[in-house]
Amino acid sequence: MTPHSAEHLSPGGRTLLDRRQFLSQSATALGSIALTNLLGGDGLLASPAPGAGLRIDPTRPYSPRPSHFPGKAKNVVVIFCAGAVSQLETWDYKPELIKWDDKPLPGGPAVTFQGPAGNLARPQYEFRPRGRTGKWVSDLIPHLAELTDDLAFVHSLTSKSNTHGPAENFLSTGFVLDGFPSLGSWVTYGLGSENQNLPAYVAIPDPRGVPQNGSNNWGPGFLPAAFQGTTMSSKDPVRHLAAPGISDAEDAAARSLLQRMNARHLERHPADDKLAARIASYELAARMQLSVPELSDLGSEPAHVLKAYGADDTRNPDKAAFAKNCILARRLIERGVRFVQLFNGAYASGGKLNWDGHNALKEQYDIHAAILDQPAAALIRDLRQRGLLEDTLVVWCTEFGRMPFFQKGSLGRDHNPDGFTCWMTGAGVKPGVSHGATDELGQKAVQAIHPLYDFNATILHLLGLDHERLTFEHNGVQRRLTNVEGHLIRQILA
Amino acid sequence: MRPAPFVFVAALTAFAAPISSVAFGATPSPDFVRDVRPILEKHCYECHGPTKQKSGLRLDVKHAAFHSGDGSAPNILPGRAADSPLIQFIAAANVDDRMPPEGDGLTAAEIATLTAWVDAGAVWPEGVDTAQLEDKRDHWSFKPLTSPEPPTTRDSAWPRHPIDRFVLAKLEQESLRPSPEAPRDAWLRRVSFDLIGLPPSPAQVAAFAADRRPDAYERVVEELLASPRYGERWAQHWLDVVRYADTHGFEVNTERPNAWPYRDYVIRAFNRDTPYDRFVKEQLVGDALGEDTATGFLVTASVLLPGQIGKDEPSKRLARQDALDEIVTNIGQTFLGLSVSCARCHDHKFDPISAKDYYAMQAFVAGVEYGERPLRTPDAEAARREIAALRTRLAAADQELAHFSPLAGAGVVRPMVNARENVDRFAPVKARRLRFTIRATNSLEPCLDELEIFGPASGNLALAGNGATVTSSGDTIVADRHDLKHLNDGQYGNTRSWVSNESGRGWVVVEFPAEQIVERVVWGRDRLARLTDRVPTDYVIEVAGDNGEWRSVADASDRLPFDPADKKSDAFRRAGLTPAETDAIDKLVTERRNIERRLAAETDRQRVFVGKFRTPDVIRHLSRGDPEQPPAVLSALGNITLTPATPEQQRRQALADWVATPENPLTARVMANRIWQWHFGTGLVETASDFGRMGTKPSHPELLDWLAGEFIRSGWSMKHLHRLIVLSATYRQSAAIADRGLRSVDSATPSTHASAASPSFPNPQSAIRNPQLIDADVRLLWRFPSRRLEAEAIRDTMLAVSGRLNLTMYGRGFDLFDKRGGLAGFKPVESFKGEGLRRMVYAHKVRREREAVFGAFDCPDAGQSTARRRESTTPIQALNLFNSRFTLEQAEAFAADVAREAGPGADASRQVQLAYTRTLGRAPTPAEQADALAVVRTHGLGPLARALFNSNEFLFLP
Repeated sequence: MTPHSAEHLSPGGRTLLDRRQFLSQSATALGSIALTNLLGGDGLLASPAPGAGLRIDPTRPYSPRPSHFPGKAKNVVVIFCAGAVSQLETWDYKPELIKWDDKPLPGGPAVTFQGPAGNLARPQYEFRPRGRTGKWVSDLIPHLAELTDDLAFVHSLTSKSNTHGPAENFLSTGFVLDGFPSLGSWVTYGLGSENQNLPAYVAIPDPRGVPQNGSNNWGPGFLPAAFQGTTMSSKDPVRHLAAPGISDAEDAAARSLLQRMNARHLERHPADDKLAARIASYELAARMQLSVPELSDLGSEPAHVLKAYGADDTRNPDKAAFAKNCILARRLIERGVRFVQLFNGAYASGGKLNWDGHNALKEQYDIHAAILDQPAAALIRDLRQRGLLEDTLVVWCTEFGRMPFFQKGSLGRDHNPDGFTCWMTGAGVKPGVSHGATDELGQKAVQAIHPLYDFNATILHLLGLDHERLTFEHNGVQRRLTNVEGHLIRQILA
Repeated sequence: MRPAPFVFVAALTAFAAPISSVAFGATPSPDFVRDVRPILEKHCYECHGPTKQKSGLRLDVKHAAFHSGDGSAPNILPGRAADSPLIQFIAAANVDDRMPPEGDGLTAAEIATLTAWVDAGAVWPEGVDTAQLEDKRDHWSFKPLTSPEPPTTRDSAWPRHPIDRFVLAKLEQESLRPSPEAPRDAWLRRVSFDLIGLPPSPAQVAAFAADRRPDAYERVVEELLASPRYGERWAQHWLDVVRYADTHGFEVNTERPNAWPYRDYVIRAFNRDTPYDRFVKEQLVGDALGEDTATGFLVTASVLLPGQIGKDEPSKRLARQDALDEIVTNIGQTFLGLSVSCARCHDHKFDPISAKDYYAMQAFVAGVEYGERPLRTPDAEAARREIAALRTRLAAADQELAHFSPLAGAGVVRPMVNARENVDRFAPVKARRLRFTIRATNSLEPCLDELEIFGPASGNLALAGNGATVTSSGDTIVADRHDLKHLNDGQYGNTRSWVSNESGRGWVVVEFPAEQIVERVVWGRDRLARLTDRVPTDYVIEVAGDNGEWRSVADASDRLPFDPADKKSDAFRRAGLTPAETDAIDKLVTERRNIERRLAAETDRQRVFVGKFRTPDVIRHLSRGDPEQPPAVLSALGNITLTPATPEQQRRQALADWVATPENPLTARVMANRIWQWHFGTGLVETASDFGRMGTKPSHPELLDWLAGEFIRSGWSMKHLHRLIVLSATYRQSAAIADRGLRSVDSATPSTHASAASPSFPNPQSAIRNPQLIDADVRLLWRFPSRRLEAEAIRDTMLAVSGRLNLTMYGRGFDLFDKRGGLAGFKPVESFKGEGLRRMVYAHKVRREREAVFGAFDCPDAGQSTARRRESTTPIQALNLFNSRFTLEQAEAFAADVAREAGPGADASRQVQLAYTRTLGRAPTPAEQADALAVVRTHGLGPLARALFNSNEFLFLP
């Protein structure tokens, strides 16, 4: 790294520097100008007036922005289990169901989402008390169960829809309709990112495919495209990182020709921020071309790490691939990426590829849990060991829960939006707490009922964002992640 | 459940009532101003006061305090504290129900005071309130259009027509001057992108440069407006607003195959300059106006298909409500610039739209269903006649062909099963039912797209239309794709098929209304020949007569074994036939295929996804148990109410008539503003779909009214507004941020605005004012605000300058992904040819899936309405545009086409000249020429093209 004076900068950089009164910078191997510190380092952005959306400088959409108040968490990893994980087979122990096994639910609904209801069915896995808290957690997820003392459960969540599409929209965007910004987009819009060489927001699809509501889960809705989640995984790298079939020499020639064209153009159109921003974006892209391959190269991970995550499991390639995604998530967090979404479960497939256990719940959950459990638990442990959990929030969520009875003529449970469990751990979260409750059969939330709005409001709060102040004007409404709802779940805050 | 403190207080007050409280030594009856308001102020006003009114409740204004509050109003019942929700909320024992929701809540004493006050009659004196309820109707956009005179300006030379006088007057007010006129070539490039979304060709650039006639500018504008490319460009703007897409959205996101006729309608309407009032009416009630496809507007949103909606009643109701909500939202936003849908759950917080208004609006469209309907155009009628004729010919061909299929079980080896179509012929037999049992497939659960059964001289007896019914062993149901009823619906293809719920097996039974003689079964997995999985490879066909006994008539045992590698097998085996017989078969088979292909095409021609109309649902103001809500226009803007008996189409007609009149204060203003926005990047009202009280105020209110008036006076001609705008001096200004335009017109009269911006002003030395500091957003239009091209314009232009743009108009969209709809996992098409080189407005728009290269350039995903494209700049855009295969392929094509045009043996300089002229509409400077040549000599034209495509000059409006 050689210090350079402003004269060595590209005109794009120089314009920014002139404007920002910056004095020095460094160059990259590619010869483009590193605007990293420039873009990341200055806190000149005015804090927004209450209720008026943030003003995003187009030249620096990802630069870190101050939170509304000091947040406990800086980064977030969301483990998103698509298809609706049964609370009754995982975190919400209902011994009463064992007694009621195979009996009809008196006064229960005749018809639920997919059709006629059958008899009540006991939890399909054994439960046992875990850790210091002695909380009962299922044998389905033994590795995650070992972390019970660190987790803060909310057992009384509700969704506004019992259909996967709208419900995943609701979980991810706060609205059941299509087209609203996702949680990660809101967070990166609010806070920017700590690393200007990588996308601020990364969505990592399950190796078996993208979740049921696909890109809606990481879409920017009506926020600027800059805040869309970039998808990458251990299997599929970021698109268009390099030009296929073009030699390095030709590539460099085209790049430097473009730089000169834009430089001359900018000289003819001085003071135009938009032009300068585009020039800067090519320089950032060049940095990304260097950073992303380094990021995605798991070759530097020692064998014991691969083993801890299960990334070396040759008998279960889906698990190994998910484990690699988990390692990728940790590497992203290590590098200061603001928001990482890690999907477990793919699209609608009769429960074969995700947690939608309508027909053969146990048979299918055996498969899905084997993919989720060890890698996800290893991720949390690894984050803690490296001290990253100090300022990283880990969220585990699913779009809704499942019914205490089986569907008529099947061995699976139907959709249940009236009471289900999600949890958080890490920065700012009170460990080992179980908040809220469903009824004794686990059908409906009865104590401290929290629509998912509250869960999302709490996530924002942990990041130092007030869900009522993080707004964006769209077609006449100051839109929020939480619409006009949302109360903090203070009971799970440290 | 009655909170404990309350019991105590109630007892106390009941006791105290008849006797003077003073005499009793207790607190005197609470006074509102002295005792009550401070408590409310302390605990309630933060959420239920002047700034926030959570759950619609406001407690700082008398009228509102007694009447507002969603769900729980009235909250204060004078004399009845025990029944008053206000008291119940503050005194609730359960913390989760208590108000305020956070903190310790009210003290027992405070609760006692409020309770005593309510029980004493809740006396709230008049005139003590510090706040006042605003009249929400008192808002500029709800008032009738004014007819402002264009103002007189000090500089009388600059304005070319009224628009300029309005703009200049404002600039002069701010002591600013307009920028100099843009060079001719810059204006040409700007207006060309603006009106048709493509740059001028080098020939057009040269011709315009040479055209010194006084009306040269006007001629260019007329030429552009007459070009079919104009409609393609401007339709995209409209499609953004109405969030048009070719899939249904949500989880399943299946193809909406016949949505595109609406897109074509919009393109045609712009090209024809359909008067805007007519355009509005056609989209609301085109079925009554001879424009059937226009009502596609009503059903552009995402919608849950029947198979995705829960079987339980609440799910069904919610889905219907959501679907209707999207229609109301679309109408409110698009035509009126109002966010009506906020009033779905509560009275609009800022605008004078009540929940009652909202449901009254819903009632206008309560008979609209998302779905296809047969078109009633002459073209579609012809298509239907054609379909009937084709069906007859098809049946005849089948009858003839049947003679050539070997009888099953006759000892002849029959052809192997194939995915497309198979025939099982057997000796005529009486049957009441026919069972097709599958014992094995080549993969997964078996699929049959159609099962047809014929007698010696009959049509397809299995058709549901002929009264046949079907049952099965079990079904896999996927909305709009797999369903048992598709087995005998007379339609072919995977999207109209039955799939068993078991892998490798399953059965279906067709039952006729009465016993029939049958002799032939025709079946396939996909007659449209796209898919080859799920093929039944082992099966048996049985029939049962009225006596009910099953007997087998055909099975797979005498067929050749299934060979997945054999793609050519069809239903006929030619071995052993004479050449004449083989010829006859081939002819018949070919004819059949042609008929089937035409059938599919004709079917497309006569059905469109433009909504179905039926008896309207009864609309009620939800969850309030109110009586039926008849259709009525927004109460703040009119007083038209229809009777609940008004038939469906008349409801929409009445709505359309109300929206599309000059008297509606919003309609003309909103569209005039949109047109302005699409020319300048920002509207006079920045929030183009919100003219409500939360929207921004117009930067030039008089100009907006003048434009809206001019719009109406011109017969609602959009092209008239385009002409006015692009020929104005305002539009012709340079885009440069230079200091030439910064001089104050009259430094002696600084405006208050300016003084606020620079407190040291006026100072003779500060006469030069920097408009960047005063108006960096260029709202006052002291220059032309340049902007980046949209995704579509970039892609179209890359193709155009490479000589590859396919200008075929209209019809089914081309593919951006490997599939046209579906759950997820869309694989982008990376290399395009033929159809794929059409303008991007013709792409098959998959909701939510952003195109792999250009989607990052703020392409809307058609989830919610996009009134104005954001203009973001991201490194992902740079990666896409610099490295994608699309760019590299166009660069290569561009290089080849430039080389071809330059001619054999042309030197590199000539090629560089041509490359610049084509892409940027100008010759390179000597320095640019030198830069380019150095690269071209080593690497050819490819890298030059790639750099040009990525250059700012290429990507921005000049």
